[in-house]
Amino acid sequence: MASIHFDKVSKVYGDGTLAVQELDLEIAEGEFVVLVGPSGCGKTTALRMVAGLEEISDGEIRIGDRVVNDLAPRERDVAMVFQSYALYPHMSVRQNIAFGLRMRKVTKADQHRRVEEIAKILGLTEHLDRRPAQLSGGQRQRVAMGRAIVREPRAFLMDEPLSNLDAKLRVQMRAEIARIQRRLKVTTLYVTHDQVEAMTMADRVAVMRRGILQQTDAPQRVYESPANLFVASFVGSPPMNLLEARLERSPSGLLCRLGRSELEVGLRPELERFVGRTIGLGVRPEHVREVNGDDGDRRLQGEVLLVEALGAELLVHVAVNAQPLLVEDVLEGAGDDEAALPTAATTEGETTILARFDAESRIREGDRVELAFDARRLHFFDLETGRSIRPIGAPVPAGVAG
Amino acid sequence: MRIRRRTLGRIGTNLLALLVFAVMLFPIYWMVSTAFKPGRDTLAYTPQWFPRHPTLSNFHDAIHRAYFWSDVKNSLIIVGTVVLLSLALAFLAALALAKFNFYGRKAFIVLIIGVQMVPLNALVIPLYLLLSRAHQVNKLSGVIVIYLVFVLPFTVWTLRGFMLGVPRELEEAAMVDGTTRFGAFVRVLLPLVAPGLVATSIFAFIQAWNEFLVAYVFLQSSDKQTLTVWLAKFTTLRGTEWGPLMAGATLTALPVVAFFLLVQKRVAFGLTAGAVRG
Repeated sequence: MASIHFDKVSKVYGDGTLAVQELDLEIAEGEFVVLVGPSGCGKTTALRMVAGLEEISDGEIRIGDRVVNDLAPRERDVAMVFQSYALYPHMSVRQNIAFGLRMRKVTKADQHRRVEEIAKILGLTEHLDRRPAQLSGGQRQRVAMGRAIVREPRAFLMDEPLSNLDAKLRVQMRAEIARIQRRLKVTTLYVTHDQVEAMTMADRVAVMRRGILQQTDAPQRVYESPANLFVASFVGSPPMNLLEARLERSPSGLLCRLGRSELEVGLRPELERFVGRTIGLGVRPEHVREVNGDDGDRRLQGEVLLVEALGAELLVHVAVNAQPLLVEDVLEGAGDDEAALPTAATTEGETTILARFDAESRIREGDRVELAFDARRLHFFDLETGRSIRPIGAPVPAGVAG
Repeated sequence: MRIRRRTLGRIGTNLLALLVFAVMLFPIYWMVSTAFKPGRDTLAYTPQWFPRHPTLSNFHDAIHRAYFWSDVKNSLIIVGTVVLLSLALAFLAALALAKFNFYGRKAFIVLIIGVQMVPLNALVIPLYLLLSRAHQVNKLSGVIVIYLVFVLPFTVWTLRGFMLGVPRELEEAAMVDGTTRFGAFVRVLLPLVAPGLVATSIFAFIQAWNEFLVAYVFLQSSDKQTLTVWLAKFTTLRGTEWGPLMAGATLTALPVVAFFLLVQKRVAFGLTAGAVRG
């Protein structure tokens, strides 16, 4: 077991494409770090550089204390699980799992013992003599895992290992991989474009975009205080509501003007320098609720476009009079998550807000509603830099990029 | 009504297939049956469909003809060398073309196809001049080189196709698992392109075994010739000895058939199934 260090690592392809740019990241011993980002953000390239399957253009990667830049893959002692599993089709499951041991000249008896042991953990014992072609998708996935685990490597590298499974199996394997990782305590770098996987499995999440690391933090921290607009729109399903707001002074402090509505935000020293300017306002769907008596002026009127009953809760699409935030950061961040995109509002100057309501709510399509936002849970973004505007004195999250 | 038309259609295609089968098979049948007929029956005015008085005398005759065994040996040496060398060279060449990116790769691939367009007959004289300067005329090695040159484009091309079908992740997985790059080729790629190796070796075998023109021109002394050239000697100024010729032809055809039967089981396509999600 060993830590993995990226030290200003860059990757430039032959045609000039900059896939990874000055990546600084440390994965501590035994830690589970998930690299997440939309497709083409450089996360897989970063992983392949650790494995030695991709040359490092600049910077340094260390596994433990060893600089591995010029080492062949086999000398790095890492194990990799591929998106396509990459099982050797001409070998049985047993031979597949034992392959790495055989290459490392482990004795026959030891090979046998360890393969049996791993097969037991993964529930593959009765399939050991089959060929990969005779297995189901989930079983193949397990074999791929087994092949990695059996070697007891210094680190696991996983490249979207679950993306070829169907939804139900994915949830199951997600838990299983997390469980195995905790049990073996092997340093793991896991790549995915699925932010739910990232949130549920990781000790720490590293969000990448266009080759640049955006934010590294515990999943909950990334969710609660995204460093910038991209992270805000990328992390979370359904995604954060992002609106354009004009900041103005009000008797009780500051207010955000959203289309025809006004939203009191109270005293916020960190927002002072944005008075008179347009900023980004973000609120998570679970922090949007129906107005009650205490809300005073913090309300937004709208019309319910769609109610999606998810069983435990309702996902309500509400058209309100406000400008949606259509900057590139947001569009790119939301791009992959088609499952939870808000329905398009029909009229000009309207935007759709997603809200999570209690399943007991009687709300129906076509209803007029008044929405209130939880003022403490609002996120503000500087539209020039895309960065989150943090309360003064709040800790700045690690690994922030512009 | 509809079903009947479909049945009729199926009977029609089957009849056509049988016809093609018969046309293809008849010469072979005629060769084999003639080989067993005594001399007076081979040229009878009313054709004999079955050898009425089967005899092995033609085979006896053929085998004891001068240079039969030495020419069998020559053929086997030439073909064996060509098959083995072409497999080794084609595997490495196809590897380079399928798995490495190098300057001029595309041009090379086009060249490989282009070379196959040139008819062998047109090259016999230039090749003769070339090889005689290298003192390779009337030597098995000269013929081996020529056969190799003519077999390689096809074998390289075919093997490259097989290799492109093997996902790159398999080699990468092997490399991460502890092999060298070349080790990954040998341990993972080689077994997976085995059907391709079999297919190309059959091709090379047939090409080299059946070739006549080059062998006839380049191998002059009787003890250096191949079986196909040996067969031609049954036709003399005084006519053709059909019985022994057909016996010799049957014997010549046997190794090809035997080789094919030996390796055809390994032509199992779809061996890569299950490597990745399928």
